[in-house]
Amino acid sequence: MADTLPRTRFNPWPATVFTVLCVLAVLFLLPTVGVLLSSIKTTREISMGQLWSAPASLFLGNFTEVLGNPAVHRYFLNTLLVTLPATAVSITLGALAGYVFAKLPFRGSNALFLVIVAGMFFPPQVILVPLFRLFNGLGLIDTLWPVIIVHSALGLPICVLMMRNFFATVPNALREAAIMEGASEWQVLTRVVLPLSLPALAVLATLQFTWIWNDFLWPLIFTQSDTKRTIMIGIVNLKGQYSVAWGVQGALSLVASLPTLLVFLFFQRFFIKGMTMGAVKG
Amino acid sequence: MEQHNRFWRIALLSLPLGVFGLFVIWPLFSSFYYSFTNWNGFDANYSYVGFDNFAKIATDRLFLQAAVNTTIWMIAAIVLPTALGLMLALLLDSRVAGARVFKSIFYLPICLSAVIVGQIWTWIYQPDWGLLNTVITQATGEKFKYAWLAKPDTALWSVIVAWSWQQTGLSMVIYLAGLTAIPGDLLEVCEIEGASPWQRFRRVVLPLLAPSTVVVVALSVINSLKGFDILYIMTGGGPFNSSDTLAMHMYNESFKKYLMGYGSAISVVLFLIALAIIGLYFRQLRKVDRIYG
Repeated sequence: MADTLPRTRFNPWPATVFTVLCVLAVLFLLPTVGVLLSSIKTTREISMGQLWSAPASLFLGNFTEVLGNPAVHRYFLNTLLVTLPATAVSITLGALAGYVFAKLPFRGSNALFLVIVAGMFFPPQVILVPLFRLFNGLGLIDTLWPVIIVHSALGLPICVLMMRNFFATVPNALREAAIMEGASEWQVLTRVVLPLSLPALAVLATLQFTWIWNDFLWPLIFTQSDTKRTIMIGIVNLKGQYSVAWGVQGALSLVASLPTLLVFLFFQRFFIKGMTMGAVKG
Repeated sequence: MEQHNRFWRIALLSLPLGVFGLFVIWPLFSSFYYSFTNWNGFDANYSYVGFDNFAKIATDRLFLQAAVNTTIWMIAAIVLPTALGLMLALLLDSRVAGARVFKSIFYLPICLSAVIVGQIWTWIYQPDWGLLNTVITQATGEKFKYAWLAKPDTALWSVIVAWSWQQTGLSMVIYLAGLTAIPGDLLEVCEIEGASPWQRFRRVVLPLLAPSTVVVVALSVINSLKGFDILYIMTGGGPFNSSDTLAMHMYNESFKKYLMGYGSAISVVLFLIALAIIGLYFRQLRKVDRIYG
């Protein structure tokens, strides 16, 4: 009976709600639309105050400029070289630790788990100076290594949290049965538990990819020469070159955001789940 | 069996714990150490200066300004994304047509880099052809020209608004998750009993959302403490440090002026503030758990 009736939610005025939402949605979209518009307009149009009006014609010069710039290629390559390994390493390490916290708990393991998860909440400025000194001493400043390493380490809180919580839902009987059959813990983890954890892996992959791709602070600290910069720093660097070429800047922003926008479009479900899970459980 | 377990614990944990210890925990403690030195970022030699850096904090006018701005940011962070997120969640939870599309629209900014968000909003505030001035010009009929980001009075708030635009989606989805946990029957009963929409919201929905509110507020406050990238892009802390935050001040002292000892002292203060907030958060979470869990 209760299922056939529509659930009464908190909605006294359906038509009003829809209208209000439409207005808010337009307001929310405006900034993004502005960038879209700028990318297909000439600088002349924009500086004449025509940015926010509907485009008279589709101008693709900004995109050819951005896509033909070798600096942009290098920034993209560097960002991929940081994002892919750091995402993979942080998830792998998270799975290793998460397995122990979920399936092989020991005295004090919960406290240890909390210490790691708490790392998620601290401003990165807290460890900036010592890390700079460490990598400076190792001669790794102005390479991509420190960025990869730090992202792998800072990704651990969310990865450990998510993997432990997911592994905890895998029945212990499954592990025990496999061990009885003569499997090692390593085999249980890689052959039994991990194949069951694909949703958690998908959540983490989308989250980590997005965060690391978008990061600005760590490449700002650890890289110096233009050939080592990632795309988000690159955008800032190119601002000088295209100082009043607003349209090119718009196209650049769009191209730089494309990977994360695509991830968001296709994996939105995982993305939102990860954000809420990380936030609520933390 | 116990020996078997111990072997695997060590085998599986050593790598993640090693990485976390070496690149997160150890630097954290080192920060405390450097905060008592005058290291300049390059020299191998530096000396122990006791509490000098902390004494300097007490008299640093720029630090005070940054602390005030961080507090303003935190309070705005509690109000703006939280209230807006709650409103959007309530609207979306009402089985409105196209709820999923709306949700994606409000959520989209979260996946953008702070660099991009900063750039987008710099354009909105652009004095000559920015959206804000264009709208004001058309509404008043007079040419309006105001450099929002270049005036000490408005710089900080302009950045906070841009930042809230990005954060609201996060608060919204957390509230939405909380709302789906409220049984529809309960609201139905209230309606039958004659509770007005406002009463239903104030007396039933809002109290039941308390756990979500704790999470949203804590997250907003913590994220406001991390606010750096968007500020760096939009104002760089200026004009005249009027939009400086503690995170920004720490960066400037350490990596612009190369006063890494002093910067470390600021980061220690930042750490202690974060620690206090997180402690408060966990306590509230447990309290809410006891009442509503």
